[in-house]
Amino acid sequence: MLNNKNIVVTGALQGIGRQTVTSLANLGANIWACAHIIDNNFLDYCAEIASANGTNIYPLEADFTSIDSVKEMSGKIFKSKLPIDGLVNVAGVTKDAIFQMTSSSDIRNIYDINVVSTLVLTQAICKRMQRAGSGSIVNISSISALDGVEGQLSYSSSKSALIGSTKTLARELGVNNIRVNCIAPGVIDTGMNVNVPKDILKARLDMTSLKRMGRSSEVADLIAFLMSDLSSYVTGQVIRIDGGMA
Amino acid sequence: MKMLSGKNILITGCARGIGKSMLEVCAKHGANIWANARSPDNNFENYCSSISEEYKVTLVPVYFDLSNKEEIINVIKKIRASDMPINGLINNAGITYNSVFQMSSEMNLRENMEVNFIGPYILTQYIAKLMIRNGGGSIVSIASSAAIDGNAGRSAYGASKAALSTATKALSREVGISGIRSNTIAPGITETEMLSSMSTETINETAESTALKRCGLPHEIASVAAFLISDMSSYITGQTLRVDGGM
Repeated sequence: MLNNKNIVVTGALQGIGRQTVTSLANLGANIWACAHIIDNNFLDYCAEIASANGTNIYPLEADFTSIDSVKEMSGKIFKSKLPIDGLVNVAGVTKDAIFQMTSSSDIRNIYDINVVSTLVLTQAICKRMQRAGSGSIVNISSISALDGVEGQLSYSSSKSALIGSTKTLARELGVNNIRVNCIAPGVIDTGMNVNVPKDILKARLDMTSLKRMGRSSEVADLIAFLMSDLSSYVTGQVIRIDGGMA
Repeated sequence: MKMLSGKNILITGCARGIGKSMLEVCAKHGANIWANARSPDNNFENYCSSISEEYKVTLVPVYFDLSNKEEIINVIKKIRASDMPINGLINNAGITYNSVFQMSSEMNLRENMEVNFIGPYILTQYIAKLMIRNGGGSIVSIASSAAIDGNAGRSAYGASKAALSTATKALSREVGISGIRSNTIAPGITETEMLSSMSTETINETAESTALKRCGLPHEIASVAAFLISDMSSYITGQTLRVDGGM
């Protein structure tokens, strides 16, 4: 489904990002796997996925709190001279706190990583896609951006920014045959839910039609669909993957 | 493995347009298909055999009119008796109608509701029952961007598609527990015979208003339906996906 496509995936160290690297490689894609820390464990993982699927995985380090670091990383991607077919913006952080207790430095930090660095990278990458005349960009937002979740003001508003960016970019880049879409996952089995109290988690899962948590692999499958030509007429959309919460 | 290997699905309205393309796209991805058309027709049977041969899947033409409950029930009996347990349904068949509100006739309004909403609703009732027995499934209804946007001249058609889309969403909440997912696709302007009801000027203007600056192709709607039928979308339910090039 993704044979010979070259795709940039951020936030590849863990959770949805890591699973995305696994799933996209499994479907034949070559991947730049961007993470904020590159240790031996991650390098081993990349090598393993590459050899298991016969594709190339290039581990890249970038600190998303620093625009310079993001630019340096995109420079390394361009140096390879390979065409870039896709960009999956997974990198993101959350720090839950009720509004009155949220510090401005926390808001700034979350916005820097989730929004500013993501857009800076997108700007660099989409220039290449424009030149090539095609591409697909997927931003990972959240149902918390659409529904509002108590205690997640900074996170949910930063993820809302990605929705506006998605819709605007879809309009600006459509003429270059670049599609831009956004995914809003519900409750997914990643580390992001470890701090949620059990009763609240259960109440949230009861709200879903499927009565269960989603798997990272299910989110990765939707990303694969949006990266593939199966979705060639889908752009500017926000797609909920939440087991039917709303 | 192909995306739809092991899937046995019913697609309505396969004789023309998007449905015809769905037949080929789903077969290509490995699905066995009950292919519905309104009435027996040699061209259609030949098309089905050629697709079946090309992609090595089972293709069974089934004939019913969505406004005829008896015909629907006969086909349901056939599906129930077959050795292909059904796990997918694409409610694709539909009619179009363009007319300003004040000029829309009661007859056309009723016909739109009958074919685009009540027929698929009844069919889905029967199929969902079979899916529950078979341990799950995926239902995809084809609505329209007109159901969401409320376009001028599309009050009757848009309302019938909005009804279908709402029923599909409500259904997702009821059958999720039985492992059945239910989603809607809202195509934008798509290159089919249905476009002949619109003026060239309107078609061009609408295509130009999309982000991709073009009409959609039938196979681009069909490939989204195939994805929603497949297990690749196993955590997506109750959603309406616009496939509209960005309107």
